[in-house]
Amino acid sequence: METRESAFGQGEAPREPEVGAAAIVGRSPWQLFLIRFRKDHVAIFALGFLVLLVLAALFAPVIADRVAHHGPNDLFIHDPVKMVNEFGLPLGPNKQFWFGADRSGRDLFVRVLYGARTSLLVGVVATGFAVFVGVTLGLIAGYYGGWRDTLISRTTDIVLSFPLLLFAIGIVGACSASTEGCFGGLIKPGLQLVVFVIALFSWPNIARVVRGNTLSLREQEFVDANRAVGASNLTIIFRELLPNLVAPIIVYSTLLVPSNIIFEAALSFLGLGVPQTVPSWGRQLAEAAEVFRVAWWMMLFPGLFLLATTLTFNLVGDGLRDALDPRTGR
Amino acid sequence: MIVAACGDDSAETTTTAAATSTTSGATTTTAAGETTTSAGTTGPQPGGTYRIETDGIAYTSGGDPSGEYLGISFGIFTNLLARTLLTYYHTGGANGNSLAPDLAVDFPEISDDGLTYTFTLKDGIMFGPPLSRPITSKDVEFAFRRMATESVVAQYEFYYDGLIDGMALSADLPDSIAGIETPDDKTIVFHLTKVSPDFVFLVAMPATSPMPEEVAGCFLQAGEYGRYVVSSGPYMYEGSDQLDASSCEALVASGPISGFDPENHSYFVRNPDYDPATDDPAVRANYVDRITIDLNTNVQDIYAKIRAGELEGAVSSGNPPADVLQAYATDPALAPLLKEGGDDRTWYITMNLTVPPFDDVHVRRAANLIMDKAGILQAWGGDISGVVATHIQPPGLSGLGADYDPYATEGHRGDLAAAMEEMKLSKYDTNGDGLCDAPECSGVVMINRTSSNWTASEPVVVNSLAQIGIQVAVQEAENHYTIIQTVANNIPIGMNPGWGKDYPDSSSFVGFLFDGRGIKAEGNYNYSMVGLSAEQAAELGVVFGPTVSVDADIDACKLAALESEQGGLDCWNALDMKMMEEIVPWIPYLWPNILTTIGPAVTSWDFDQFAGTTAFSKLAVDPSLQR
Repeated sequence: METRESAFGQGEAPREPEVGAAAIVGRSPWQLFLIRFRKDHVAIFALGFLVLLVLAALFAPVIADRVAHHGPNDLFIHDPVKMVNEFGLPLGPNKQFWFGADRSGRDLFVRVLYGARTSLLVGVVATGFAVFVGVTLGLIAGYYGGWRDTLISRTTDIVLSFPLLLFAIGIVGACSASTEGCFGGLIKPGLQLVVFVIALFSWPNIARVVRGNTLSLREQEFVDANRAVGASNLTIIFRELLPNLVAPIIVYSTLLVPSNIIFEAALSFLGLGVPQTVPSWGRQLAEAAEVFRVAWWMMLFPGLFLLATTLTFNLVGDGLRDALDPRTGR
Repeated sequence: MIVAACGDDSAETTTTAAATSTTSGATTTTAAGETTTSAGTTGPQPGGTYRIETDGIAYTSGGDPSGEYLGISFGIFTNLLARTLLTYYHTGGANGNSLAPDLAVDFPEISDDGLTYTFTLKDGIMFGPPLSRPITSKDVEFAFRRMATESVVAQYEFYYDGLIDGMALSADLPDSIAGIETPDDKTIVFHLTKVSPDFVFLVAMPATSPMPEEVAGCFLQAGEYGRYVVSSGPYMYEGSDQLDASSCEALVASGPISGFDPENHSYFVRNPDYDPATDDPAVRANYVDRITIDLNTNVQDIYAKIRAGELEGAVSSGNPPADVLQAYATDPALAPLLKEGGDDRTWYITMNLTVPPFDDVHVRRAANLIMDKAGILQAWGGDISGVVATHIQPPGLSGLGADYDPYATEGHRGDLAAAMEEMKLSKYDTNGDGLCDAPECSGVVMINRTSSNWTASEPVVVNSLAQIGIQVAVQEAENHYTIIQTVANNIPIGMNPGWGKDYPDSSSFVGFLFDGRGIKAEGNYNYSMVGLSAEQAAELGVVFGPTVSVDADIDACKLAALESEQGGLDCWNALDMKMMEEIVPWIPYLWPNILTTIGPAVTSWDFDQFAGTTAFSKLAVDPSLQR
């Protein structure tokens, strides 16, 4: 019977199991997590889809080149390959254009593929910023308490109480009013601005979660023990608290990504997102709204991909939460 | 400033009487009285209600004739509510750009020096309820006094300011204007400060329609008078007779008129004090008893109702959606119900002569040569949407027509070889390979609109320019006009603007847009900065100035207009050609059509070329066909 050393190396050698008795195996939290996660077929399936999506997004230029034979901004408005009719309405799916075309005669398949890049990029980068800011502030507030906690917690409350879509529209609108952008040209209109605005509004929730967890962790014995042996605050935060916060952070991030993808889509739908040369599902849906009655494909494909992506992110997030923290029931 | 936005979004338009004779807007609809297939054989009959819905009429001054500066309002006023000294025939094509006497007995008597215009008013012209009194020359004069009152914010007062002797904005209502005399109730005399052959068009604008001081004088703030307008035309707002005009207080207490709410509806009924004998049926036919315009923000619903016979027409901010157009154009039964009119307007891409790389004429020419205008037209909705524009002034305004195309390319699809040859001459092609390759050629900010025709055609423009090395960064914005009208923004290129004539004369088009003396820091409509002087450049902080000027050409054409039979058209056309070949401020791409559908009960419909909208006084219905 094969046994494994505990990853945490408590140093205790596994006992030889008695013959006939059930084997008691020491497993690391990571192993436990993997075992639990593998049993969640829905989460595994969702993860598989996400992996495919990420690959498709990464290799979008190759696929566009080799499979579709044209790029996301190539126009097919003149003979011999014309994908719009004499009234400027787009033509539907065919052998060469699997998802049909949009109003400018562009290949919707390629644009949906590239749209995955935008969605994932904005979703992941904005979430990354939000997590960084949220975790930092949450740790400071939770660990140090006092005026720092008051300041950070009240700021969090204030940001959370903003009507965020309206506020985001306002900021994006204001920063797009001139070519200079905002904050002395620091934030330029376009992708950068979208990421900034989304990050600006998605850190408070994660900050609250981290603060709450930190509050309870800092009262525990292992923290006291560290203090007793003279560990510095930073050591305690980085060596003791942060590793224990990994699970909630991962779960929360995974759930934040889809909501940020939707946020980007909403901004783009309202015409405040990324420029047209950067395909975005949200913008594609907005364009579809005007011609939906005669060009269903423009609504169907970007909508389907947006739905599938956010759904699978949520399913994976749920699976992670169940596997990382079995105490939370569904 | 709304000047440019107006010129643009509105449909005010038409051509000079002289110009029109040569062009005839290719697309106007039939003359008044045309009957549709479903109508009876006896022609249009009086009576009935003509039902219209709109997805929103953009009022610039809450319905005040002094401050309304958009085509739909021009159409409503000049057809229904506001007669002017001269007016138009309210029909499509060249004839619709021709002037006819309206309140005046005849065209004015003009003094030999061209500076004094004398009009004589007709007998029997009356204000409608609640006044029901004769219109006098004092009432016309009052319209000018009111325009000169700052608080009224008369949007195109600038046309008259300084042109009529003594006419200038004043804080309070001026007692009189030196250059306007009313020796008796039937005579009005205008003294001009400079020769201005287009003055006859200026007295056909709704802001010059007679206004009763006892009512309009009570409302001297912008946007106030709209709901108290006293009609001088064949129709009035329903409920006008409920007003009590005995005093300003009584007016306010009894108002506003129930038949007009700019946020909701306009209902017109016959004006009992209008005498058809004082009018010309070719100008206003007035068949229907009632016209209703209701708000419906669902455009699809409006066109569905028209098709079902539940409405007669739409007054829309744009053409019907592409699928509606497709349905009507491809179905022989529906085709007669699709109406179109030429919109004396040019949609164009503006290039700024003071911002690299467009400060180089070779770059501007190359951009003209490479542009896939056929692609833009395609994205706008194809041939039904208009024709490719090849120069500054639309065909309705000039004799040049589409035959003159200094940047002709095969099928209007752009010519890469020719564009590269031109680019080689530019300093921004540093290695002579025909591509714009200097640092100034990338990240060039281009302004665009957010509405679908512009966003759909945007990739065509972006790709075209990229072929010659110009990499644009597009900024789509709701406030696109404000952005390009603010000189300090130094916007290099914009595909958002368009210009429609205010009145059918080149002096409101090529003679207006490129006048360097009109350049100002904000609300600037000379987006290309043609004719920027060194002093202006220093004052406005423009680095790459001064620019080449055509001010002298404009002045020469205005003089020529006085002396020539055809209104100086040759001179204006020569200036148009000079702009296209030597100055090259624009890439004109579309002369659009105005399209709409009408219901099966309509027995008469006409297009109003001046206003670029429905000729409201030429409508008739067969009530038996209404649902």
